[in-house]
Amino acid sequence: MSQTTAPAIHIEGARKAYKPIVGAPSREAVADVSISVAPGTIHGLLGPNGAGKTTTIKMLLGLVRPTAGMFRILGEDSTLPAGRRGVGFMPEQPYFPQHLTAAHALKLYAQLSGVPSSEIAGRTSALLERVGLAGRERSTLSTFSRGMLQRLGIAQALINEPTVVVLDEPASGLDPVGQRDVRNLMLSLRDSGVTVLLSSHQLSEVETVCDEVTILNAGRVAAKGDLDTLLDIEGRTSIRARGLGDSLPSTLAEHAVNVAVSGGVWVFSVADDAVRAAVDAVDDAGGRIEAIAPMRDSLEDYFARLLAETAGEVGAR
Amino acid sequence: MMQRIWPIALGVVADSLRRKVVYVVLVFAALLAFAIPSLPDYGLGVESAVFREVALALAFVTALVVTLSLAANRIPGELERRTVYNVVAKRVSRWEYLVGTWLGVFLVAGGVMAAFTVIEQVIGLITYGEYMWLLWEGALAIWLEMGVVAAFAVAVSAITGPVVVVTATLTALFIGHSRSTLLGGEGALALQPFMPSLDAFNVVNPVAHGDGVPPLYLASMLVVFLGLAGTSLFVGSALLSRRDL
Repeated sequence: MSQTTAPAIHIEGARKAYKPIVGAPSREAVADVSISVAPGTIHGLLGPNGAGKTTTIKMLLGLVRPTAGMFRILGEDSTLPAGRRGVGFMPEQPYFPQHLTAAHALKLYAQLSGVPSSEIAGRTSALLERVGLAGRERSTLSTFSRGMLQRLGIAQALINEPTVVVLDEPASGLDPVGQRDVRNLMLSLRDSGVTVLLSSHQLSEVETVCDEVTILNAGRVAAKGDLDTLLDIEGRTSIRARGLGDSLPSTLAEHAVNVAVSGGVWVFSVADDAVRAAVDAVDDAGGRIEAIAPMRDSLEDYFARLLAETAGEVGAR
Repeated sequence: MMQRIWPIALGVVADSLRRKVVYVVLVFAALLAFAIPSLPDYGLGVESAVFREVALALAFVTALVVTLSLAANRIPGELERRTVYNVVAKRVSRWEYLVGTWLGVFLVAGGVMAAFTVIEQVIGLITYGEYMWLLWEGALAIWLEMGVVAAFAVAVSAITGPVVVVTATLTALFIGHSRSTLLGGEGALALQPFMPSLDAFNVVNPVAHGDGVPPLYLASMLVVFLGLAGTSLFVGSALLSRRDL
């Protein structure tokens, strides 16, 4: 991807302070958040509860008035209605008027999005099928389960065939099959050139689909970048070997850390400059190397460590 | 603009039509309307005039209950249930959302007025053998007043909950019909032009006892409606646009 490509989503210096009553001290929900999302990518927005993810998204979409900051989607000010023409949004746990049928609801949102009347019926059928609600066009939403409403929420976000989609916890309330469907949907959106901003608590989902992430903590950006860069542990290499018996040879044990064994397969890490010695030690012990790769953290571990590291900074504010 | 306001209004109408309050109020009002002829006569030859007067009062109360019950709760309910996110996150301005909501309530109030006026006509025809066409003028006046009431209620509901909305709207309605009482003294007469009044919509005398409302008066009533409802919606839009959702 070209570095000069204009970002599909650009947030600069976002800040939101709430002042509950006159005279009371203001509370900053978002302190200073800047996010840039390249076109055609999936960007994850991570953070613990209260980190400012949803507030940032709401500011981006004009639902909450920012105290400061610049918000652009496809180069236009997204806090204004005209700047949201090519945007689809699924709020966390979407709610709908219960008396509507699925088809009526999508028709309403299509009309509000400016979809030509002649295209609404076709898009409604196609989208309901795409989100797994085929045949439920005439069902009243009061009969829908939590997961079905979630799927409908995704459908209404896509009704205007958006170029940019903002999804707030899209897999929340879905069963494992539904979660997989959502992941596949996001990947197919990316494949068709759509930019996705995904706010999620589900780290496995983020790790699977996101090209880049921004991690928020207490209203600030704690880390951001592409996942490979964030998760690779600098200076260490992970080795996977088989045929080493019940214990590591002593020459290898002195280099290896994070050792795990299962089903005769040993996994451990060594310092980069000890890789040659470790490989020789495996050979000498009659073992077989199955994989050598830069050591990579799991997103879950990285996330937990990052939050622990930034906890002091947050408390000091 | 209208392609966004109109679907919102129709959504309000569809939602309102499934609410029992609309039908319950209408049924009770119809029952009361059927009981009007049993009221003590005020004198030979004026029974039908009394019927028209009481019918207009009943129509006003009916329309007020329906309008307030719909207008006071619509926006606070949508904010609480977060159904509003799916609307205003699209390319819908908040003022369009507010005006669409008002328009929906206004249309429902119009439907209720029309239904009730038909009932009045039937009762009038059966009881007095008269087609009381003038009641339609009264219904129009009440409908327009309900448009103002709905606009005020929707505007207040942009920043507060249903209880406050109902209280504020009833207070405004009382004040709106009390200009001559509140500012009737010589010292306060000069203030009258600055006090919005709903008296323009009071057409009971010409409809119940006279020959109806002149076209020019109907036109001026429409201007008052546009002015008051427009001002309320403008203020409501400003309030809603400053609110965090």
